Amino acid sequence: MKWTVKDVEVYLQEKEYVDTAVIPLIPLTLEKNVKSIVSMGEFVQIIVNELERQFKGRVFLFPPFTYFTSENMEEKTKRIADWTDELIANGMKHIFYVTSDTEWKAGEANLPGTLLWLPSIPLEHMDEKYKQQIVTDQTSQLMNLLIAKWS
Amino acid sequence: MSDNKHRVSRRQFLNYTLTGVGGFMAAGMLMPMVRFALDPVLKGEAGGEMVAVAQVKDITTEPKRFDFKVKVKDAWYESEEPRSAWVYKDDKGEIVALSPVCKHLGCTVNWNGDKEHPNQFFCPCHYGRYEKDGTNVPGTPPIHPLDRYELKVKDGTLYLGKAKPRGEA
Ligand code: FES
Repeated sequence: MKWTVKDVEVYLQEKEYVDTAVIPLIPLTLEKNVKSIVSMGEFVQIIVNELERQFKGRVFLFPPFTYFTSENMEEKTKRIADWTDELIANGMKHIFYVTSDTEWKAGEANLPGTLLWLPSIPLEHMDEKYKQQIVTDQTSQLMNLLIAKWS
Repeated sequence: MSDNKHRVSRRQFLNYTLTGVGGFMAAGMLMPMVRFALDPVLKGEAGGEMVAVAQVKDITTEPKRFDFKVKVKDAWYESEEPRSAWVYKDDKGEIVALSPVCKHLGCTVNWNGDKEHPNQFFCPCHYGRYEKDGTNVPGTPPIHPLDRYELKVKDGTLYLGKAKPRGEA
């Protein structure tokens, strides 16, 4: 499900089936590396959208968790932990964070949910067919990780 | 003195509020009219053309997944959305194109996704299952068969249209 009224109506009726939250972690900046940061975020958004399409009935895709690249790790970790607590208190059983930002990888051990890190692949100059192939491949890797957690 | 200046008189108050209400009413009247004016156009577009999805020579009796994109118009926002279809030839040699969207809560189903139940479509979300022809397996969460795409073949190419509940397609 997505963060839309239409999907939330289904969620409210079928809560017990929707036990997995996916949160994209998206860095922000306006400094000189802005382009690569944007590209990272764009890639992650494409992948999580596809993941949501595959697992619509069980996965709730949340609006992204955003942070300036200058925010220190401790604060970010604290904030994402708060999000996670909130979700778990409301019945979510599996929490996944999806990101291309390597910073999280270093702090992975302090995260209460599961970090799914993807290498960022700039899709903007790729031809359509190749692009689709990459998105399908990356998504299916994430799908396997979710399925493994579920069983 | 200054108190008086800032006080809104009864007449002023009524004036303000009535204009406000009037404004709202006018907007309320305008909106439906705009909608009527736009509706036929939107319908014409939403009728939807069929999209080329596969070459007939690539279609076998084993369901294969084909991905494609469709244009979707959502009020003011037009976008391309990915779609998939499971396509195969049935015993009579006729092409069947099933929507992979699980009729339980909408996950994407896979052919042969569950080793314990071969030759079925399997939904990894809550373990829904369907026969090859899309019929839901009783006792699993879905209670309807998979939708079927409207299809046509032209010059060796398969085109798909809307996915419809079985019985309608
Ligand atoms: S969405 Fe397929 S079984 Fe629930």
